Amino acid sequence: MKYSIPKFWRRKEGYYQVVLTKCKECGKVAFFAYVRCPYCGSSNIELVKSSGRGVIEEYTVSYNRVEGGEEYLPKIIAVVKLSEGVRVVGELVDADPAEVKEGMAVEAVLRRFSSDDPHGLIYYGIKFVPAIRR
Amino acid sequence: MEVTKVYVVNSALVKIDRHFSKGYKELANEVISEVISKSGIESVDLVVVSNMFSDCILDQLDISTILMQNLGMTKVRALRVETGESSGLAALETAWMAIESGAAENVLVIGVEKVTEYPTYKINKMYGKVLDYEVEFIRNITPPDYAALVMKAYLKKFGLKREDLISWPVKMHDNASRNAYAQLSFRISPEKVFTSMVISDPIHLLDTFPLGDGAAALLLTSSKAVRNTATEPVIVAHVDSAVSTQFHLREDLTRLPATAALASRLKEKFGNKVLTEAAIELHDSYSIYAYIILEELGLAERGKAREIVDKLEFVNVSGGLKARGHPFGATGVYQIAELYKLMTEGFAGKKFDGEYAIAHSMSGPDYNARVALLQKLV
Repeated sequence: MKYSIPKFWRRKEGYYQVVLTKCKECGKVAFFAYVRCPYCGSSNIELVKSSGRGVIEEYTVSYNRVEGGEEYLPKIIAVVKLSEGVRVVGELVDADPAEVKEGMAVEAVLRRFSSDDPHGLIYYGIKFVPAIRR
Repeated sequence: MEVTKVYVVNSALVKIDRHFSKGYKELANEVISEVISKSGIESVDLVVVSNMFSDCILDQLDISTILMQNLGMTKVRALRVETGESSGLAALETAWMAIESGAAENVLVIGVEKVTEYPTYKINKMYGKVLDYEVEFIRNITPPDYAALVMKAYLKKFGLKREDLISWPVKMHDNASRNAYAQLSFRISPEKVFTSMVISDPIHLLDTFPLGDGAAALLLTSSKAVRNTATEPVIVAHVDSAVSTQFHLREDLTRLPATAALASRLKEKFGNKVLTEAAIELHDSYSIYAYIILEELGLAERGKAREIVDKLEFVNVSGGLKARGHPFGATGVYQIAELYKLMTEGFAGKKFDGEYAIAHSMSGPDYNARVALLQKLV
């Protein structure tokens, strides 16, 4: 087994939902559950849940082969501007690369990040899908 | 106590290649033997080894110790430095600080990387770990994906077409054709860039670096020890580094914040001239970064770097990461080794007579950046 259980388990809230770090000092909001504000370093922060909805600002269709990720190729990596005004970079799935456009509405869903073949752990987390599917 | 100056007194490098018959010990041994034998320096009191992947690729921790043991260099102080892709300049930074503080007089800096022990897709996985594993890489984001997103944002921001950013790799291959140590020493046409496979659209294979093994070494000394050298010294006038914010936290995706901070600090300390008149080796891991680095260093206005590429005579004379190659932890050491030669005996068919040279290195999309300023003795 190559995958760690505790390494993933302790961060699962941040993988299973879109969690934001809201800084009470500088007022900035960042994607991911950081331990301090990544902008100003303050520990006066709160973690808040995002709606998971946003629009695509930029995207790339990637063929970069990485061990263990072959079955997901080509993958679409998108810069998503969440409705809270915060940027997140993530995978876009259930979308035809030819139909992806800037400005397209997307929403977060729970999908498989990767798995520890052949009988090990599966890491799940947030990816994005076109919002029009619902 | 008077602060000593720091000098490079010799450099050595091997051709970057797929050295299947040689391990890291053989590659390091070649450059160490050469750099010491011609220098006139008989012993070193500190060895700094730069290597990015020894834990992942070589199944080896504490590579500086194991290397010294295998070369019969026991009792010397030795340590490994790792800061991702900029490790080579971090090793120089460590050596520079050690000499400047008076903690060491003669320091050997070695950059060595063996990447052809495994196929590319395995190395790609290891390379992804220069990003934040918990925030980015576990979510399947890799370095070329970011380069692609930066390129698209740059094209959009400045109203350019993809073919407007084609001159960099062509020029780098042309430069590398005169560099005997380059991995890809052949010329390419602009069409060849477009017909090479897509890595992360719009980044093609020929927008990126090849995977190859390499080793380079530098010998550094203090003002006191420099009198004993048999070779021409060059001053290491300054080394600086900075960390930047993660990609998704950046307001403007077309900027490289750590590189920008270093350029501004260099300018403040030494004046704009060092940047505009220096010979430069910069970190073009993806061709889009080269254009932006040129702008961050103040060599071109924002969005206009493409207009100056053909006129650059002493920028990446080596062929850059693109064509000289990018043996990760060794790359920064290659840059200094090449600039030292360029300022002394000549390198890749050229000799630089100006006063300053700058090496720029970074990791991932500028997650950290480092610069070193070399100065000719006058």
